[in-house]
Amino acid sequence: MALHSAIKGKLISVIGDEDTCVGFLLGGVGEINKNRHPNFMVVDKNTAVSELEDCFKRFLKRDDIDIILINQNCAELIRHVIDAHTSPVPAVLEIPSKDHPYDASKDSILRRARGMFNPEDMVR
Amino acid sequence: MALNKSEKEAAGQLMDALYLDMFHLIEEHTQSRVNLERANASGAILLARTRFQHGGSNSVSTAQIPTENSAEFNALCRVVDSGDGRGISIERQPVDKSNGYVEPLHWFSVLPPMSLRNAVSKFKDCVELVAESTNLQRQLCDVLDWITKLRQTPLIK
Repeated sequence: MALHSAIKGKLISVIGDEDTCVGFLLGGVGEINKNRHPNFMVVDKNTAVSELEDCFKRFLKRDDIDIILINQNCAELIRHVIDAHTSPVPAVLEIPSKDHPYDASKDSILRRARGMFNPEDMVR
Repeated sequence: MALNKSEKEAAGQLMDALYLDMFHLIEEHTQSRVNLERANASGAILLARTRFQHGGSNSVSTAQIPTENSAEFNALCRVVDSGDGRGISIERQPVDKSNGYVEPLHWFSVLPPMSLRNAVSKFKDCVELVAESTNLQRQLCDVLDWITKLRQTPLIK
């Protein structure tokens, strides 16, 4: 069954806790392609950092993904990989989760912006 | 080559304009994340209410969502580039099971309760906010790249 042929547009992928993944899947972003690769990953306390990193890198390589949503607390675990990604596509959005409110000082893009007017904090 | 005063002034004015843009975009970016956080939290509360009303934390959990072993299906919403410089937007497909567009609500319940339906509406808002936030983030990245480039020129010394 060729469900994925000639589909316009790109996907939003999600890496996050149970509520974030369930929520965005209910919002209609979830997909499992013909190779049985989902565009989401549920992170819990048993998820290894290497697993998280591999999943993030896999999403970066996929050309059908335009946005990667990642909970900020998960992003903190793989900060070096997120900071190394400078291309605008896919866009990496650090989003808050139920247990961890949004902290602008941790956001990669805002840290880079802060470096523009405070050289001591310059991250690159 | 000696740079004349007017060129340096023009570069300085451009730099000022870029910095002003950057501050505006930082403000909008942060506000859009706060809005996203609010919509996400409202959705999470409605999910919790559904769990409470239907007994047990497994009534709405990852146990119901598809895995690698599930049948393939398509995303109901996709990101499309408007192509006219306004950035990306979200395009939704109607549910059509024969073409792989399944209703995600039915993973959790055949007769979904009102709280779960309301949660879906909140998370649909979140998806729209994600598109808005992505556009702002890309604009901010562009401005930061321009500032970096301009700083490297001999005009700004």
